[in-house]
Amino acid sequence: MSSPDGNDGASKELAMAALLPLVSAALVLGLWQFAVTAAQVPEVVLPAPSAIARQFVSSLPELLRQARFTGVEAVEAFVIAAMLGMTLAAAASFSAVARDALFPNLVVFQLIPKIAFAPLFVIWLGVDAPARLAVGVFLSFFPIALSTTSGLASTDSNAVRLCQSLGASSWQTFVRVRIPFALPHMFTGLKIASTLVFIGIVVGEFISSNAGLGHFVLSAGARSETPKVFAGLVALALLGLGFYGLIVLAEHITRRWWRG
Amino acid sequence: MRGGYVSVANVAKVFKTRHDTVEALRDVNFTAEQGEFIAILGPSGCGKSTLLMMCGGLESVTSGSIRMAGLPMVGARSSIGVMFQDPTLLPWMTVLDNVLFPIRILRRPIDDYLGRAQQLIDMVGLGGFEQKRPHHLSGGMRQRVAICRALVHDPDILLMDEPFSALDAMTRDEMNVALLDIWQRHRKTALFVTHSIREAVFLADRVLVMTRRPGTIVEDLRIPFTRPRDFAIGETAEFNEICAHLRSLFVAGNRAESAPEQRA
Repeated sequence: MSSPDGNDGASKELAMAALLPLVSAALVLGLWQFAVTAAQVPEVVLPAPSAIARQFVSSLPELLRQARFTGVEAVEAFVIAAMLGMTLAAAASFSAVARDALFPNLVVFQLIPKIAFAPLFVIWLGVDAPARLAVGVFLSFFPIALSTTSGLASTDSNAVRLCQSLGASSWQTFVRVRIPFALPHMFTGLKIASTLVFIGIVVGEFISSNAGLGHFVLSAGARSETPKVFAGLVALALLGLGFYGLIVLAEHITRRWWRG
Repeated sequence: MRGGYVSVANVAKVFKTRHDTVEALRDVNFTAEQGEFIAILGPSGCGKSTLLMMCGGLESVTSGSIRMAGLPMVGARSSIGVMFQDPTLLPWMTVLDNVLFPIRILRRPIDDYLGRAQQLIDMVGLGGFEQKRPHHLSGGMRQRVAICRALVHDPDILLMDEPFSALDAMTRDEMNVALLDIWQRHRKTALFVTHSIREAVFLADRVLVMTRRPGTIVEDLRIPFTRPRDFAIGETAEFNEICAHLRSLFVAGNRAESAPEQRA
């Protein structure tokens, strides 16, 4: 007995949702492989996927070492950005003056391509980790600040009145009601930030590092080792995907807690 | 009329915005004895909710004075329990934790109140639902949780702002019976705001009738039915006569209100 529209349909839909992007990616890779081989494109211009895969495997120990370097700095920058963004959001939620003073300026700031600030951080902080972390933090704190602020503002106004009726302090209201209401919103910002922070760290590595995947890609490029550039990019993609996945997992756990 | 457990004397409320001022309440006077159930009945926009929130210290008083249990209201007070139109449960908390929420805010020891919380939950018929989340409950059940939460810290005064107006008619009748049942056992001084005439008459010892623009009390009617009350009193001629009388006050109020508009 098979149900016409029960679990069967749902699991089929899920399988399709997982399968379709894999199939389309495989198609593109196949086409790429075929085009490069058929047209005999030189490897330095565009290596075939198979050549990239071979390079990835042979460089794996090196890639792992560099990925660890980049990953640790990205996580550090992300944690700092999260704390900074949430602190700003908390300040904005506690004081209208702080909100009005800070947020218009932050939005204007957003309009500047912030990546262009990177050389300044090198001038101020030198060519070591602090400069790279600063670029990562600088790029990623804003979406966290913004989403947390809107989350804190989205608190059910009746719940705030309930707290007031009990004579709750604004700190109690903040911790027991506003923060839990803000959590689901906050993750929107954290997800965006988790991708931006890698951009920041890699750019930081471009201009001030002798290690990390950014440095690996840049120096391979300088030597025209195109397969290595691509292997580095693959490693960066996997690293970013893993980190994004962790954030999504944390979001999922939070939502489970929220909704029961 | 001085004194009384709850005393509202010459209270006025004026909302000022940049463009105009709105006189929401004018010259409101009433008192309530300890343990009395007062319904404040009025059309929407008559300021009855504002009056209730002023009694709860959640809204400032423009002029006049409000004294609850002998003390002037200057802010929120833990001896007052409040119920809103919306149950306002916190979605990430279980039924039990929602009921205990006031205890946490008041920083009292949770253990001392677990028994009381459980007793209240059982009394409103939610035994077995302690660990459920609000989104698993129906609207009526959520409002029952809100009743428990309003009572858990054993306040002396219960303020209710149209707590059942968002429920369907049948659930609403059920909730009225449940509320009277629980009030019968925990005799709190209750102020109950509603725009339902039958609800007011069924629940209250006294019905205060408010009219609009500015909101003021035009009638203070004692409801003669003995307690405990059965829902069947709603079928009696006396009940319906009282309702008809109260309704006539609104009709008169509406006529008086629309008269100047017709002239304009």
